[in-house]
Amino acid sequence: MESRLTVSSSPHIRSTETTQKIMRDVTIALLPAAAFGVYNFGLRALTILVLSIVSAMAAEALSQKIRKVPITVDDFSAVVTGLLLGMNLPVSVPLWLPIVGSAFAIIIVKQAFGGLGHNFMNPALAARAMLVASWPVEMTTWTAVKADAVSSATALGILKEGLNVPVPSITDALLGTIGGCIGETSALLLLLGGIYLIYRGVISIRIPGLYIGTVAILTFIITGFDIQTTILHVLAGGLILGAFFMATDYASSPITAKGQVIYAIGMGVITVVIRMYGGYPEGVSYSILLMNVVAPLIDKYTKPRVFGGAK
Amino acid sequence: MNIKNFTNGLIKENPIFVQLLGMCPTLAVTTSAVNGIGMGLATTAVLISSNAAISILRKFIPAKVRIPAFVVIIASFVTIVGMLMEAFTPALFSALGLFIPLIVVNCIILARAESFASKNGVVASLMDGAGMGLGFTLALFVLGSVRELFGNGTIFDISLLGANYKPALIMILPPGAFLALGILLALYNVVQIKSSK
Amino acid sequence: MKDIFKTGLILLIISFVAAMSLALTNEVTKDKIIEQRMMANELAKKEVLPEATRFEDITGEMAIEITENFAPIVESYVGYDASDVVVGYVFKSKPTGFGGPLEVVTGINLNSEVTGLRVGSHQETPGLGAKGTDAAYYEQYAGKSATEWIGVSKTAASGNDIQAITGATISSDAITVGANASIDAFQMIIEQGGVGN
Repeated sequence: MESRLTVSSSPHIRSTETTQKIMRDVTIALLPAAAFGVYNFGLRALTILVLSIVSAMAAEALSQKIRKVPITVDDFSAVVTGLLLGMNLPVSVPLWLPIVGSAFAIIIVKQAFGGLGHNFMNPALAARAMLVASWPVEMTTWTAVKADAVSSATALGILKEGLNVPVPSITDALLGTIGGCIGETSALLLLLGGIYLIYRGVISIRIPGLYIGTVAILTFIITGFDIQTTILHVLAGGLILGAFFMATDYASSPITAKGQVIYAIGMGVITVVIRMYGGYPEGVSYSILLMNVVAPLIDKYTKPRVFGGAK
Repeated sequence: MNIKNFTNGLIKENPIFVQLLGMCPTLAVTTSAVNGIGMGLATTAVLISSNAAISILRKFIPAKVRIPAFVVIIASFVTIVGMLMEAFTPALFSALGLFIPLIVVNCIILARAESFASKNGVVASLMDGAGMGLGFTLALFVLGSVRELFGNGTIFDISLLGANYKPALIMILPPGAFLALGILLALYNVVQIKSSK
Repeated sequence: MKDIFKTGLILLIISFVAAMSLALTNEVTKDKIIEQRMMANELAKKEVLPEATRFEDITGEMAIEITENFAPIVESYVGYDASDVVVGYVFKSKPTGFGGPLEVVTGINLNSEVTGLRVGSHQETPGLGAKGTDAAYYEQYAGKSATEWIGVSKTAASGNDIQAITGATISSDAITVGANASIDAFQMIIEQGGVGN
């Protein structure tokens, strides 16, 4: 991405890259982890994913019709938003919840601010934050893997509240056979998807790498060099999903390389602070949202100087 | 003429939806319809009294010290309203108590004193105060109703959305105030644009 | 120079009139406000210890000992019945909940039974921790034994355990911390032979 985003003076080469291609790549990268979520949590997970994707597309078409702009449902961006939102929900949520969430993500966060490329924060994450604030009980009821209607805790929840439950093993966290949101459990498949996106040039390693690195180093120091807890913190929550697929959102992350470094480290610090000292066991979504909001400010102060211009 | 002074504040120059004045109480107290009306009426009482007092004294107050004079007058009325409320409507006071002193810094009041009452006669100022105050109350009531309806499923504690409705708690939390205000402003503008065509 | 005196004088007159009207309102509302505050206080105590008709502050060394040893407790009272016999104790504590300190008033009678508990001012999340002020929640405490600590269960109330508010374990724990500190203080008072006549 870094080479592609270099802003230079004309003439420009017309790239064959389109929104559709990029978004299709993101969808492909997400599919393995989503499919594993369905395998892990059962068919209900599939229902929720489909519901959130379909309602995201419907909301996009509807709001574009109202705004009297071309309808671009086929560019896959609504699909990505819906899929990301669905993957960020617990499997036990009532079925109307993904619909409300997708509608909020598309209509309020994306279209009301001007549509694709104008959203000031990641629509899927903003919707998730809205859902957590609105229906906290539904959004934090975790279902154990492969066992219906048994509530369990997430790995981070166990660590945070010191519950009297065994902490899942690192292998489980890596494979994804642990409690959590539908699409966040399998660290391995999410990493695979991330690597695919980097290989395809859709994202660069800078933001996810620095973000995850910051979380790992800080957690390692704060936990008194406890390697097992550190690995769990990296693998078990929503960090991998957030770092590769949501923190890298083009519209809501800084443009310059220096800005992206500040942005990524900022997210890492906020995530660790929320996890260790805050009221919630997980802080990935809030840290990304908070840094989304300051991204324009970061851009303003890291903008390269105009050549020949005054200091 | 005086009627126009009154109706201006209700819709055309509504302090919330058009002038965007006094956002702090607007966002903070509108967690329910009752709170919205209570805060609105308390502000209206202060606004009418201060407008009248300032209009009467407008020739007496020297231009140089008009702002401190206005502030003293407004602050006195706010304190009086606060004391009366605590003594005679304790339930309302306990819900709004924290925000009553904030009426002092509500810019609607100082704005009306400076831009209207200090330049117009007593009757016109009374009308202006009442209109602006009721416009403010109306906006707070609408905002409070929307937030209470979606955030709690009720308006005036009467259940409207049925027992199966799962309230969206965010609407009665601070972010809900911003969301609701933004959406209402958008709707207000849609209606204004449509009707001016 | 003359101008300054004149403006100063006018400002002085305005402030003087304002101060006079404030003093007047204060005179009218003073007794009423004190009465309201007293009533609110007395009412809360009576609700948690219905057997008592009159309350007295616990003062002196005992009060210091209680606040020093049973941290969240801030105030404690002896309850008397109509014939001036001690019937129980009421403790006001301020444990820390999810949104900051919350006020818990606990009543315990001489049969070592918790007679009631109320949550006063708090900043818990509406719809979650704020449900601590719902009768369905706080009435769980009434009738619990004050010979041992009250426990919090996430699933169901049993024995001396109350059921936590769904999704608000931290608030439920905090309220129970207040109750348990009151139980400790109560036991200490009883061991020392009681307070009051």
